[in-house]
Amino acid sequence: MIYEICRVLACLAAGEVLSRFCPLPIPGTVIGLALLLTWLCVLGRVPENLSKLADYMLGMFGLFFVPAGVGFISHVGLITADFTAIFLVIFIGTFVTIASVGLSIKLLARSKDQ
Amino acid sequence: MDFAQFRLDLTSLSDISAQLLTRPPLAVALTVIAFAMGLTLQKRWPKVALFNPTLIAIILVSLILKAAEVPYGAYLTSAQSINFMLAPTVVLLAVPVYRNRLLVRRSWKVICLGVATGASITFLGTLLIARLSAAKAETLYSLFPKSVTTGIAVGISDKIGGVPALTAVFVIFTGIVGAIFGPSILKFLRVEDDRAAGLAIGISAHGIGTAKALQMSEIAGTFSGIGMALNGIVTAIALPLCLTFARLDDHAIVVDSGLAGTFSRLFKIRF
Repeated sequence: MIYEICRVLACLAAGEVLSRFCPLPIPGTVIGLALLLTWLCVLGRVPENLSKLADYMLGMFGLFFVPAGVGFISHVGLITADFTAIFLVIFIGTFVTIASVGLSIKLLARSKDQ
Repeated sequence: MDFAQFRLDLTSLSDISAQLLTRPPLAVALTVIAFAMGLTLQKRWPKVALFNPTLIAIILVSLILKAAEVPYGAYLTSAQSINFMLAPTVVLLAVPVYRNRLLVRRSWKVICLGVATGASITFLGTLLIARLSAAKAETLYSLFPKSVTTGIAVGISDKIGGVPALTAVFVIFTGIVGAIFGPSILKFLRVEDDRAAGLAIGISAHGIGTAKALQMSEIAGTFSGIGMALNGIVTAIALPLCLTFARLDDHAIVVDSGLAGTFSRLFKIRF
């Protein structure tokens, strides 16, 4: 398992370094994802322990957002001041995005069928 | 010897808890236990969408921090180890993507369409609401990267003139809203394809949405992860560029009309 953890951290670290040199603002985590994916494609299979590690960590994905999310308590003033705009963007904006992505793909699939 | 010194009245108790909570073992334990409670609630009542484990954990932790009068900065420093785990977990999304590589390769059109639609609708929607409301400039700029995963969004926010910490909060609440309402919206619109559902949730609600999509099915989770990663890249590149246009046009003008300028400019370009 430790080797798999090393591999993931190595991809992440290499991603961070590469993102410094990359002219486009692509974040290190995304480059790390691409590196791990490339490595998997070269290897041609997912090592059992890496598979376990991924399922384990992705199962707790939501946990890792908690510390940053609690941050709202230090911005209560700003949030209440502009509550309407924030509420509209976070609720209505998100609903519209979800609906438009879902519907556009549904339409694409339907146009292919005909 | 003064015995009053040893009296455990309420004030000293809250002092003790405040000191303890700023130490990693307690801050981490509190966060993990709060999340475990959220997960238990979600498993017990799977139909109640509001029982999102991330939301429950955030509410519980903030209530306890408020009660113990612990400043947020002190808590964040001690809970940093949990915060850090976000980065390797994003890298690990490569695993479900690889597992479903054949389906992913076959669906490249669907993926491109989804990301293009999602990124532009999010931008235009935020711009429109920003134009209609009289919110502060820093709030509006902090709102733009709301659909992108935290690590990326904070960087974008910093670049375009938002408040990174505020953006992190908006990002997480957007994720929670998407994870809670996304599945019902898609069901209502009769989007039954797991790929479409995953992309829609991942593009709009990043990692928290992906956590939800992974619970729906591995295919939904895979496409949610892809949507999240690609939307992150596209937004990181396109958003600062789109907003530079607005600034070149109307620098020195109040930001509200600056945004209006972008809006009319965009429409002039498009039509």
